Amino acid sequence: MQLNEEAYQTMIKRCLRCSICKWIPQVQIKSKKYATACPAIDLYNFHPYSGGGKIILALALEMGRITPSEELRDIVYKCTECGNCAIACKFLNTLEPLEIIMRLREKLVKAGCGPMPKQEEYIQSIREFNNPYNEPHEERADWFPEDIKIDSKAKVLYYIGCTSSYRRKEMAIATARILNAAGISFNILRDEEYCCGSPILRTGELDTFEQVLNRNLDVIESKGIETIIFSCAGCYDTFKVDYPLYRNYNFKVVHAVEYFEKLLEIGRLKLTKEIPIKVTYHDPCHLGRNAERYEEWEGDTVQILPLISMDIPPKPKRAGKNGIYDAPRNILKKIPGLKLVEMERIREYAYCCGAGGGVKAAFPEMALKTAELRIEEAEDTGAQVMISACPFCSTNLQDGINSRGSHLKYYDISELLLMAMGLDPEKLAQILSEVD
Amino acid sequence: MTNAYSYNWCMEFVNCMEEKEPIPFSSVPKAVLLPSSTEEVQQIVRICNEYNIQFKAQSTGLGPWNQPSSENCVIIDLRRMNKIIKIDDRSLYAVVEPYVSGAQLQAETMKYGLTVHMPGAGPQVSPLASATSMNGPGFTSPHTGHSARNVLGVEWVLPDGEILRLGSAGMKNNPDWYIGDGPGPSLRGIMRGWAGAKSGIGIFTKVAFKLFPYPCSTNFKLSGNSPNYEFEIPDYMKLYVMDCKSYNYLEKVFLKIEEEEISFICSHLSGYGLGAIFSNSIESLMDKIPIAGMLVPLVVLIAARTKREFDYKQKVMSKVIDDFKLENVIGSKYTPNSLFYAEALRSNLGLHGFIATGGFQSSKGQCDTANVCVNTTKMSIPLKKKYIKRGVIGNDFGEGVWITSYESGHYFHIESPTMFDQTDEKSVKGMAENMEENYQFDLIKHLGAPFFVEGDRMHDLFGPEMMNYNKWLRKIKKAFDPKGIADSGFYITAK
Repeated sequence: MQLNEEAYQTMIKRCLRCSICKWIPQVQIKSKKYATACPAIDLYNFHPYSGGGKIILALALEMGRITPSEELRDIVYKCTECGNCAIACKFLNTLEPLEIIMRLREKLVKAGCGPMPKQEEYIQSIREFNNPYNEPHEERADWFPEDIKIDSKAKVLYYIGCTSSYRRKEMAIATARILNAAGISFNILRDEEYCCGSPILRTGELDTFEQVLNRNLDVIESKGIETIIFSCAGCYDTFKVDYPLYRNYNFKVVHAVEYFEKLLEIGRLKLTKEIPIKVTYHDPCHLGRNAERYEEWEGDTVQILPLISMDIPPKPKRAGKNGIYDAPRNILKKIPGLKLVEMERIREYAYCCGAGGGVKAAFPEMALKTAELRIEEAEDTGAQVMISACPFCSTNLQDGINSRGSHLKYYDISELLLMAMGLDPEKLAQILSEVD
Repeated sequence: MTNAYSYNWCMEFVNCMEEKEPIPFSSVPKAVLLPSSTEEVQQIVRICNEYNIQFKAQSTGLGPWNQPSSENCVIIDLRRMNKIIKIDDRSLYAVVEPYVSGAQLQAETMKYGLTVHMPGAGPQVSPLASATSMNGPGFTSPHTGHSARNVLGVEWVLPDGEILRLGSAGMKNNPDWYIGDGPGPSLRGIMRGWAGAKSGIGIFTKVAFKLFPYPCSTNFKLSGNSPNYEFEIPDYMKLYVMDCKSYNYLEKVFLKIEEEEISFICSHLSGYGLGAIFSNSIESLMDKIPIAGMLVPLVVLIAARTKREFDYKQKVMSKVIDDFKLENVIGSKYTPNSLFYAEALRSNLGLHGFIATGGFQSSKGQCDTANVCVNTTKMSIPLKKKYIKRGVIGNDFGEGVWITSYESGHYFHIESPTMFDQTDEKSVKGMAENMEENYQFDLIKHLGAPFFVEGDRMHDLFGPEMMNYNKWLRKIKKAFDPKGIADSGFYITAK
């Protein structure tokens, strides 16, 4: 992990208990209703559920004031690891609340007090079936319509991910069809594709994660792949941000929205059909603030005055500035007739959908309630449709739409793009029913 | 879970001052309760009375005064009481519950062209807590006043569970929140006095306080990504940073500008403090050395809603600058990032004090005339330098203070933010010694009561020198809370 033990031990002593972590950056607050940043403290209220509260618990654990317990586990794992607390904290501070929470989970796993039982179940499923859904591995590519063209010698790989392969097949189909329409020669791994490991990593179970990572990289590197396209924000983030912390690779990783934006720019994709709807876009945490690579820093921490130290050269602050925010918006703005209206919490301070960090499996009620909060925010924009670019957000937000009885419809950006390219939504639905 | 409620900012040196282990944890509360209404608060307080358990209430919870001071204490976390009850844009006041933050309320008042006073602790803290229970200076104080003076009607759950409503909120016929005094004698002095009882005399569940005109256009546009946002500076805002060169001169300039009633912000900061408010990291602080080298800087921000108003304010500032032979370095020697203006409007500048060492706390805290505040600054430099030399507090050349004015310069506030490292035991112990010596210094030199005179020991130290106020405070405590159910660790006991 990026945060070594020494830095962890220092940082957990430095929380100011200012509660900035509970809010989006103060200067971005536009209303009372949508001022908060953290689903966990919003729903469970007690201070330890906040980013800062978890830092205090980490310190209390190190000082022996508390011991690993079910209560502690419950608090630490009722967190979507969305990282919004870290964005708020790092506006002026240098703490890394998200890294601390992740390391605290590792420590609980090592102490035999984590992950949550439901998370342990899906980790076991990944070990056995290469996906967290207990689905047969041999059915991984069943989403694949036969009329989609792939090229087994292509240097571009479309990595589908478990959720799109088994649960959100429409995203996989739409992405593949767009690539076909643009004339991109690409390949898929079919039964050589395995879980990226994100669901394991987020629970703190690092041993299994490293095994998964190594197998994936071995397979991909053996095929001489030069570029991987992801339609899953979680897989993208894991490959882009987390893999290099364990093992370097030489291929390029891009999310579909970045790729599609370029295809539109160079005219390989044409948007011909008017889509006269009002949409709002949800930034997935794994595509936005958390998709920022760790930058190498080689320098010294120099004491310039007593008690005052400075990093020379300055250490890069991982504050979400390099997330993918503009590409999906640029795509939406190019769709004829479509109007994009923004929610109050967007980009690096977007509110989480509620599914991440193993929460959807371990605490479904928390995931659902968080999704409902986000759906309410989307409704308040006056949009008819909510758009995002992550299959896990898709599942949870659609669950939220249903449980809230919302008028909103949900589409992945690839589906909307396909419609704007002229494919009848009915046809898309037919394709889906054929696959299903 | 309760351990998370025993930790707070500055707790380590507060423990040290009380000859306890210098760790950032206080006593662990017996339980933490989350009431959602005044009725639930009353029920909890009555149960505390029945079982003789102390309570400590907190809203946004920043600072050691939110901590229990005994093992026999529960925390009443008012987080679920988070409603804005009313914004009266004609009579210019708002009524809120404890867990509405300053930034939340400001965002809503901006929709009416209004703003709210927020303390230096930042926009994330509770304006109710500041109005009822804590001191309350802020960077925008020349425009938005002081928490003690802004409070209007109050709903107050007394230590026995009964409700007391102050001012017009307590009237039998047509109760409303527009005034905090009467009928009959005002109880505001008993409720909070100057510095507040920090939950030591009950729990405040609703409060009304004054709103103020937002100083310029409320069109608030940011672009880019955190923490380097670009702000579209509204028309009719202008910043002045001038070196007054001497403290005597500072006093004269301060008084003149405030007499003219034109400033939104009017603060003296040390060179270090000046650099800090324009920086978002220690590295970017280093870029500010050209302005941080100023001897006695004064920061003035003017803002207006119309060109005519703006022209007038600029003319006044030009005359002051000419008359006092000052130079405004903004635009010539230094141009701040646009984000500074956004943070100034949203009261986020105080938090910049943490960027150098991660920890600071203020000694001093007097509210008095400009003369006393400036003299306090001058006189305190050698004392601060002593601790800087020992390497236990950060080096601000001893000059690190913040002075701001209130009410057209009728009074001023000074505090001396002092940087320390909360992870370094030597620094923590040094900070504790520094605070103690400052208190003695303030007493000997007759500099008034500092910010954090809290608890029996401190009140009994300062009281005899200040008209025995501690005896009166104790009588109030005894009358309102004879059983000592409201935790008085940061107030005064009835002993």
